[in-house]
Amino acid sequence: MAVLSGGVTFGIGSMPGKAFAQIPSALAGQAEPGKVLVIIQLGGGNDGLNTVIPGEDDKYYTARPNIAIPKASALKLDKDMYLHPSMVGIKKLYDAGQVAIAQNIGYPNPNRSHFRATDIWNTGSASNVVLEEGWAGRYLLTQYPNFPIQMPKHPMAVQLGSVESLAFQSDLGRFGTVFEDPNLFYQLVNGSTADMDAPPKTQAGEELGFLNQVAAASIQFATVIQSSAAKGKNSLTYPSTGLGRQLGIVSKLVSGGLNTPIYLVNIGGFDTHTNQLTQHANLWRTISEAVSAFQTDLKNQNLADRVSVMTFSEFGRRINQNGSLGTDHGTAAPMFVIGKTVRGGILGANPDLTSVDANGDLKFKYDYRQVYSTVLRDHLGLDNVRTATIFQSTFERLPLYNNSIEGMPEQHTMELLVPWPNPIRQTGLIQYGIFVETDILLAVYDIQGRLILNLFEGKRAVGSYSVTLEGSLLASGHYILSLQNLRGGRITRSIQIQND
Amino acid sequence: MPGASPSNVRHLLSRTLFGFSANDYEKAMGYGSLTSLVDQALLAPVPLPAAPNAWVSLVPAQAQQSSGDAGRWYTELTQWWNKRMYTQGLSMQEKVVLFLHNHFSCERDKVNYPQYMYQQNQLFRKFAFGNFKQLVKEISVDPTMLIYLDGNNSRGAAPNENYGRELLELFTIGIGNYSENDVKQAAKALSGYQVRGLTVIYDPARSYTNASLTILGKTAKFNVNSLVDLIFEQKATAEFICRKIYQHFVYYKADEVFVKKMADVFRSNNFELKPVFRFLMLSDEFYQPSILASRIKNPQELMIGSLKLLQIPVPDWNNVFELARTLQMQLFQPPDVAGWPGQREWISSTTYSHRGGFTDSLLSGKRFNGANVTGKLNPLVYARSFANCEKAVAFVNQLIDLFIVFPISDTKRAFLLETMLEGTIAANWSTNTPQADVRIARLIKAMMRMPEYQLN
Repeated sequence: MAVLSGGVTFGIGSMPGKAFAQIPSALAGQAEPGKVLVIIQLGGGNDGLNTVIPGEDDKYYTARPNIAIPKASALKLDKDMYLHPSMVGIKKLYDAGQVAIAQNIGYPNPNRSHFRATDIWNTGSASNVVLEEGWAGRYLLTQYPNFPIQMPKHPMAVQLGSVESLAFQSDLGRFGTVFEDPNLFYQLVNGSTADMDAPPKTQAGEELGFLNQVAAASIQFATVIQSSAAKGKNSLTYPSTGLGRQLGIVSKLVSGGLNTPIYLVNIGGFDTHTNQLTQHANLWRTISEAVSAFQTDLKNQNLADRVSVMTFSEFGRRINQNGSLGTDHGTAAPMFVIGKTVRGGILGANPDLTSVDANGDLKFKYDYRQVYSTVLRDHLGLDNVRTATIFQSTFERLPLYNNSIEGMPEQHTMELLVPWPNPIRQTGLIQYGIFVETDILLAVYDIQGRLILNLFEGKRAVGSYSVTLEGSLLASGHYILSLQNLRGGRITRSIQIQND
Repeated sequence: MPGASPSNVRHLLSRTLFGFSANDYEKAMGYGSLTSLVDQALLAPVPLPAAPNAWVSLVPAQAQQSSGDAGRWYTELTQWWNKRMYTQGLSMQEKVVLFLHNHFSCERDKVNYPQYMYQQNQLFRKFAFGNFKQLVKEISVDPTMLIYLDGNNSRGAAPNENYGRELLELFTIGIGNYSENDVKQAAKALSGYQVRGLTVIYDPARSYTNASLTILGKTAKFNVNSLVDLIFEQKATAEFICRKIYQHFVYYKADEVFVKKMADVFRSNNFELKPVFRFLMLSDEFYQPSILASRIKNPQELMIGSLKLLQIPVPDWNNVFELARTLQMQLFQPPDVAGWPGQREWISSTTYSHRGGFTDSLLSGKRFNGANVTGKLNPLVYARSFANCEKAVAFVNQLIDLFIVFPISDTKRAFLLETMLEGTIAANWSTNTPQADVRIARLIKAMMRMPEYQLN
């Protein structure tokens, strides 16, 4: 029935139904089209310890005698952690299972400069590598491979504001369309002209080409942005804060049918070196109110399945308060991922205030690119090869979404990569990894969940494995590839066989 | 030695002034050589201007916030500076003041007292052609800076690291040339200062108590002056500052070989700025063809420069003030402590469109939202100030060369000529032909809407 290569034996046998659960007929693990990511940038370095508070840890109170948040006033979560008292709306979403808090997010050799650290987060680089292309720009290049020769009808990325983020920039040009108000933007662009002549190949010519491209993109997108905003609506009144207005516009554009996968909104003021209590409380109240309005609005308009929110900030702050009732630049901090498709909860161990780095700062536990990789794969539906290419390495995902691989990376027992190529015409490569020795079953099912082909069944030692699937031996059509083990893990991939 | 050719002079003026009028250009050409132009005009000493108003010497009080005075005074201060840029003639001083404001970036959002910001702005003017090392010493205890980067009330026992970090990272040595420990120790050395009224006091009891500090490999009982002296002994410091000057005035990607030459000049002149600017402006490197028109104008250059080009007698300063915010360059309100990054960061789909909206408004007398703009151009009076105005081809070419540094092809010149003539032939052109004012305004609008106009 099928031929394997690589000296791996396999048996064709009946499925041991008791041990291995039945495959679901739906194509599990696939992102739907039209998914939208809304990134909220917290400018200045958010104080993670006063946001998601280790309220049962005495060291927290010792380190911050004047600015610690008393646990009595904080909002209790799980695992001995508390939310800042002003985050009432986010707490409600958390209770509804729509907030994932990934703790201790950072990267090796953290940078404490606002600018370099922001660049690192925007480019998705290691701290010792300088990239000039944004991580979202590299993602968008996979979605719009003809950019900038051929421009899509809808903007590829929208940023509410004025200065385009590095996250959307690429060597080929800028992916972001940046504006504050859809109607104003439309009026302004009227009167712009773009010059399609190739500029001379000089330094000045390069700048001219850049200006021309911005002008052309504005002309291209201003109309569809305005008409989407006119068609779309808000089902409620947003708080009259900067962030509230921005998220209100995002909701209107999504609701009006703008087909844009990534939005970036921002709120600044997190650089709380002095008297931080009031300011930090106000900032999180603003975010909490804006985000909960946004989630309610999406829910009312049946858009909640498509949209997910992710926060990031360039760094957390020092564990100890400074002499001005504030905190200085630090390292690891929590990230929030919010939405209806999110698997709510607190991920990862609580901040360790004892085992700190040489500067007395928190050590990171999970890399920020693990969060980015999870969002790209499990929310936006990008495949693993492209995701790994964007970050020049595979970053193990975190269980942030309902369709994410379960368990934290250290608990993962196995990994099944997306078969390549897909559709499979003649032969397809199936790769999988075993992290814990156990019995596994690797098999192909049809859409109705019937076992079609058993590729391997039995004990597997820790290691990486590959199997070549001969597509010609199966009928054309859609199938589900499944990897299961006796520890309860199951990963599925959809495959298509196309025999011409 | 580069010569005073029309192209070189225009390039020099566009980089050292906020644009220039036809008169400024004629005057500059009159110096006969770049050396004379630089020494006798651009870098010539200029006395400090009088204060915008009496409020500058009022002791700052909380009440000025709630009364709205602080906001009004900030507007006054901004307009005062805008007018200085507009009327600077052939002096480079205000351009350097803006460079220093951007380098030692402080935001009015945090420094609510325009009195302090005025003091800092005059400090930059005082040192525009002066000693940079001394400026760093003075800025370290400047009220605006103390408030902005939290040096105010920083105690030696638990110092606030904000200023210490940025002093090293952004103002002097540059990232990668110091350690985290240097930041912590520098913060101690910088502690003990407090803003009191219009001045700053030093309280030794609030400074550090350690017997000595070890910073950048040297152990001593440091204070602000000896710390700054030590910082300027580091090789990286002169290069870091000269690189910043190069990126601001020449091209955003630094020529490292030339930056080293500038740094040698800077060091051998004990960190005086004037010799470095002079070296730069008289170097062959500054006039290479690859440098011409490679810079994207910042909003101040765009707005003040357009007003100068059109010789608007009484500009609508309110329009300038509000558009500066829209174009992301509100004076005294840079985005963060690193200042405005410049070049392509000025441009997004929205700011690019607003730039066109601003230049349009000088011709239409209307903003994009319909609000009136006072002091719009009188096209006929303007055209007739050019001797060539009755000769269509020569007139259009003269305007193109005055307005745009980027080399404009013959095809585009022909297009612009046609924009003005609109159907008539060049031989029939006269400023007395019907609709000549509309035609001239259309030509100017088209030139200013060309992306080339954004480059200098």
